[in-house]
Amino acid sequence: MNKIILDYISNELTNEQLEDPLESGDDLLGSGILDSMGMMKLILFIENEFEIKVPPEDMVIENFMTVGHIITYLENKTV
Amino acid sequence: MTTTLPQILRSAANKLPNQESFRFGSDSLNYKELDVKTDKLASHLNAKGVKKGDRIGVYMFRSLETAIAMYGIMKTGAAFVPLDPGLPISRINYLLNDCGIEHVITNPNLHRKHRKILEHKSPLKSFIGVRLNTDFETISWDDIFNITLENFIEIPINENDLAYIMYTSGSTGFPKGIMHTHKSGLSYARLSVNLFKINEDDRLASHAPLHFDISTLGYLAGPLAMATTIIISEAHTKMAPSLAALIEQEKITIWYSVPLALVQLLQSNSIQKMNLSALRLFLFGGEVFANKFLNELMHLCPEAKFYNVYGPAEVNQCTCYHIKKPPLKKDVIPIGQVWEETEFIILDKQGRKINNNDYGELAIHSSTMMKGYWNNQTLTNKSTYVAIQGELEKKFFKTGDMVKMNETGDFHFKGRNDRQVKIRGYRIEIDEIEAALLTHEKIIEAAVIVLQKNESEKEVMAAVIVDQSCTIGSKELLEHCRGSLPSYAVPQSIEIMPDFPRTGSGKIDRKEIIKTYIKI
Repeated sequence: MNKIILDYISNELTNEQLEDPLESGDDLLGSGILDSMGMMKLILFIENEFEIKVPPEDMVIENFMTVGHIITYLENKTV
Repeated sequence: MTTTLPQILRSAANKLPNQESFRFGSDSLNYKELDVKTDKLASHLNAKGVKKGDRIGVYMFRSLETAIAMYGIMKTGAAFVPLDPGLPISRINYLLNDCGIEHVITNPNLHRKHRKILEHKSPLKSFIGVRLNTDFETISWDDIFNITLENFIEIPINENDLAYIMYTSGSTGFPKGIMHTHKSGLSYARLSVNLFKINEDDRLASHAPLHFDISTLGYLAGPLAMATTIIISEAHTKMAPSLAALIEQEKITIWYSVPLALVQLLQSNSIQKMNLSALRLFLFGGEVFANKFLNELMHLCPEAKFYNVYGPAEVNQCTCYHIKKPPLKKDVIPIGQVWEETEFIILDKQGRKINNNDYGELAIHSSTMMKGYWNNQTLTNKSTYVAIQGELEKKFFKTGDMVKMNETGDFHFKGRNDRQVKIRGYRIEIDEIEAALLTHEKIIEAAVIVLQKNESEKEVMAAVIVDQSCTIGSKELLEHCRGSLPSYAVPQSIEIMPDFPRTGSGKIDRKEIIKTYIKI
């Protein structure tokens, strides 16, 4: 799950080539790795890939700040 | 009398030292602290030999340091130049060279980019606000704040000195720098405070990044009114439900952004659940606010006032329209009338003055207007209309915006006289994107088109003809665009076509291309 999301962001969404490989603790929202369009694409990808629905109220910083946060969110959701 | 921007900070620090000036997350600075910290930064810059008229970069994501950087720079008599952290390094490098920037104020979270910038040739001598393990000169914020102010000498500044330069898209493929003086910046702040009755009880939301001109309401008018400006984090601008919660929690009283930010708040169904009773004023500009969303927002906040604000960055703001009741489906919201200290004329296609109520290009003369474009007198002259009034020459900035006055004296925006478009509020010259595509050696011709995706969003698309001997894919071409264009100007997709539909005279028929696109 971790790798799938990291690969998708690195290959499809980043605005420029990243110097170092993306890590699950990297701040996606505050450091400019994703823009607002990128964030929407990422959520769509997660919904399709993991066959879940992310309701608008779940789209908060605490759930999507890093790939680590996303994993925790998805795990809590599927329990 | 207050004639410069740093004076408003000094004055606020004397009158209300303990009042919160700027807030970011759980951190904040009162006016006294901000005044002292900006003195310290200015003191460091003075020691580095920065002098009046120099240009200093501000390269950071929105943060408290943004306010410290801009006022600290202005206190030295230098002009601050916002550098969008989302720009490709090649473009940052262009700005550093074009503007002759020797020092850049920044934050540690951009350390990866700092190293890349240093790989290019530029006049840069130091980074301030970060410690890098290189031979290149850097100094941390902690070291700046440890400076003592015993030897600090205040530099006398004149109202006509440069205060800041904001870069925007240019049709030649290179961005152009809009120069504002202390007079034009301060006039904008003063007229805003007067018109919107901003006062020390207000809490302004600063949603736009510093390189976007509407940010000046929070950064300049806020301190003039001794109000509190809440700087909204990058993360909040991307997550609408978090932003809605912040608006309630921070008891925001004045909101100013492009319509899209408000549309996203409504679409996420989050702002509807919040207590918005503190919000007394909504300002929006840059693009058209779709009526159905504006209507919904006005019903959510029946007590608040709503203004459609208009003005290219070259003149800051110049007109606004007070929307008194929620618009109906077919209503077209005007951009309103010119505000204080502002005159207008209307020009025809040949650039001749015509009647005020004729359809034509709007040209503005105002206390808030720019000094000109940095290092580009030709472009400055091209965008200026000189009116002779008696023995005096009066300069009007030609906005490029076509307008028509209605029977109540309010202007309606009728489009552009060139190929500039607005995407998410950002100005983009179509020619600039085409120029960027054509720098790729395999692209023979390029046509950029803009599609209306839905009521509130537009998308940039490109069609290209490539060298037939190569097998290049659109992914590689997109990569090429990302290397030289700001992210909002990069086409959403690039279509490789064998040839373009053309008009009788052989010109690229963009309308036909749009039709092809819709079919795809």
